[in-house]
Amino acid sequence: MDSRLNKIMREAGGLITGPRRIFPLVGKVAHDRATCISSSRNLYSYATTRRPSAESLSALVNWILRAQRSNGGIAAYYSLFSGYSESYPEVTGYIVPTLYDFALLAHSDSARGAAERATNWLLSLQLSSGAFPAGLHGRSAAPSVFNTGQILQGLVRSWTETNRPEICDAAFAAADWLLSVQSVDGSWPTAYQDAPHTYYSMVAWSLAQLSECTGNQRYGLAAERNLDWVLKHIQPGGWIDGINLRGHPSYLHFVAYIIQGVLECALLRHRKDAVQAISAPAWILLRKFETAKHLPGAFDHSFASGRRFTCLTGNAQMSCVWLRLFDGSRSQDLRIEGSCDLRYLNAALKMNESLKPLLPTRGSDGVVGGVAGSYPIWAPYQPFRYISWGCKFFADALMLEQRLLTSLEASACAS
Amino acid sequence: MRIVVLSSSVYSETACAIVSHLCALDYPPLAVLSLRTFDPATILRKVAQWGLRDAVRYAQTRLGPRTPASLHNVYLAPFLSHRGHPVRSLREIAEVPITFCKNQNSEKSLAFLKNCAPDLIVFAGGNILRQPLLDIPRLGVINLHLGLLPDVRGMSAPEWSLLNSVPLGITIHYMDRGIDTGPILLRRELPDPALSSSLENLRNRLIAFGVEQLGPVILGLDRGTISPAPQAVLDRDLQHFVIHQRLRDLAALRLQQLRSSPAPVRVRA
Repeated sequence: MDSRLNKIMREAGGLITGPRRIFPLVGKVAHDRATCISSSRNLYSYATTRRPSAESLSALVNWILRAQRSNGGIAAYYSLFSGYSESYPEVTGYIVPTLYDFALLAHSDSARGAAERATNWLLSLQLSSGAFPAGLHGRSAAPSVFNTGQILQGLVRSWTETNRPEICDAAFAAADWLLSVQSVDGSWPTAYQDAPHTYYSMVAWSLAQLSECTGNQRYGLAAERNLDWVLKHIQPGGWIDGINLRGHPSYLHFVAYIIQGVLECALLRHRKDAVQAISAPAWILLRKFETAKHLPGAFDHSFASGRRFTCLTGNAQMSCVWLRLFDGSRSQDLRIEGSCDLRYLNAALKMNESLKPLLPTRGSDGVVGGVAGSYPIWAPYQPFRYISWGCKFFADALMLEQRLLTSLEASACAS
Repeated sequence: MRIVVLSSSVYSETACAIVSHLCALDYPPLAVLSLRTFDPATILRKVAQWGLRDAVRYAQTRLGPRTPASLHNVYLAPFLSHRGHPVRSLREIAEVPITFCKNQNSEKSLAFLKNCAPDLIVFAGGNILRQPLLDIPRLGVINLHLGLLPDVRGMSAPEWSLLNSVPLGITIHYMDRGIDTGPILLRRELPDPALSSSLENLRNRLIAFGVEQLGPVILGLDRGTISPAPQAVLDRDLQHFVIHQRLRDLAALRLQQLRSSPAPVRVRA
């Protein structure tokens, strides 16, 4: 309660130190109120392209580049009350692959440079144990399993891009620490709020990536132990238990984390059973989106209990999941019935269309091209903030969309 | 046989063609239950959904009859005549009374339909039908689906058929609570699909082919020579959804390939 009060006080204090922020804040609230009333979603709303994907992708990456602080870290968010936050190690870590992907796609030196600066900053934060600290920069020195896992993604990618030995050492040290605190059952019990969480499948994905890059099966097997632990939490109706976050509903962002982590880990480890198991909740969410034209922003312990707001980050993550389910299961050894299915691609395309118009085209640096936590802006997930991980996931989705469509169109033309 | 037709508008070409065709087969419907031709709320909703240009096009199809030259679906032309006169509005078929409603599932509509005591309802457009309406006719409500069931259920069936290399065709089936999951009365592949010059052309040909195939189904049901076959695959989710423009473009490319080489070519997923 105290921390929530502190958060409110800090945000309110932002308006006192920057009173000019009141105008964009009121403008955004009025805009979202008006669009909530006037827009009616329907079968055809998202079936056509109204804003080119390349334009949206560029806006998203520019938002991320502007959010990079002078120390090289990337801010967690831009608040309509208080402006940019401090650098956020966790997000900086897993934004690194996005920046490298964009650099390759758009031949962008600025994105590559930003990825390198971000990596250097991350290296400076690593604790002697190999772990990375929790929370925003400077708030805590306590080691964090989740942050270490997410940062490991960035380290692995930076290493493959640059071959710098110190990055390789840092990645091994981080992974060794993760293995040292992993329970025999595959979970991480001493994690955030002293409970194991199924969305730590994202950590398993990082370990699987390291294993894939280095050929060291120790990390891959540890990833699979966590995968098996998470799979035990999938209910017959498709819901996944074990998010275990006290004080919050199960935001779509966390549900999508679980699915994304399991899927990516399963694809890397060639675990057809896990791809099949995780495609059940992914399909339930696809059907929900296709029939209702939106996904609930949060759930209360079942997919039937959706809350009526939109968690934009979660939507972008689900787009990534559907695209990867379409893409990843094209390999014969992972093909499961119904998985190599254009309906996944179709849903992702429409999800991306639904998100593009929500990227602001006018406003301050922290607003233009940003992905808000929630739609409408005052809804409970990261209210009144544009968040860097939202931009990351949506940029990932648009890059994946471009790659898959190009390949699909080429194969259609060839035949 | 007592038949009622459900329609989305008195100017619906498909509904006009079905009613005219039924009359020609000597099965004149005893009534048509149509949505109101001009519903300001619907038009406003379409403006919000589609934008002004598409909403105006939609309004044009709803608000006025078409001339032979402006027929949206020229393949329906052979069916759009009654007693030697062209039919551009259901009002031109004098012996078939039309009742208007705002919602085909409303209490008032249900009361009207119960009063008609139909053996069969032919769905030619309108609302998503609810169970109380489906329960009214003695035999059931039949629907013309523009794909071969059970392979391609749901929306954009011709496009999905092309992308998934399912033969192009139509299915006439009873409607039930699911999306295109009811028992099948007739399933026919479209002859010469490669003759279709575009997706719109293909869709129009499928509609006209389906209207033509309604004849044998009605005759068969009346004479008891046709029996519904439950769909074989009910456990798998085969519902398809509105297709995105980029995939629609791929389907169009597939159709183009079909025209140049009729041998099946799969869009490799």
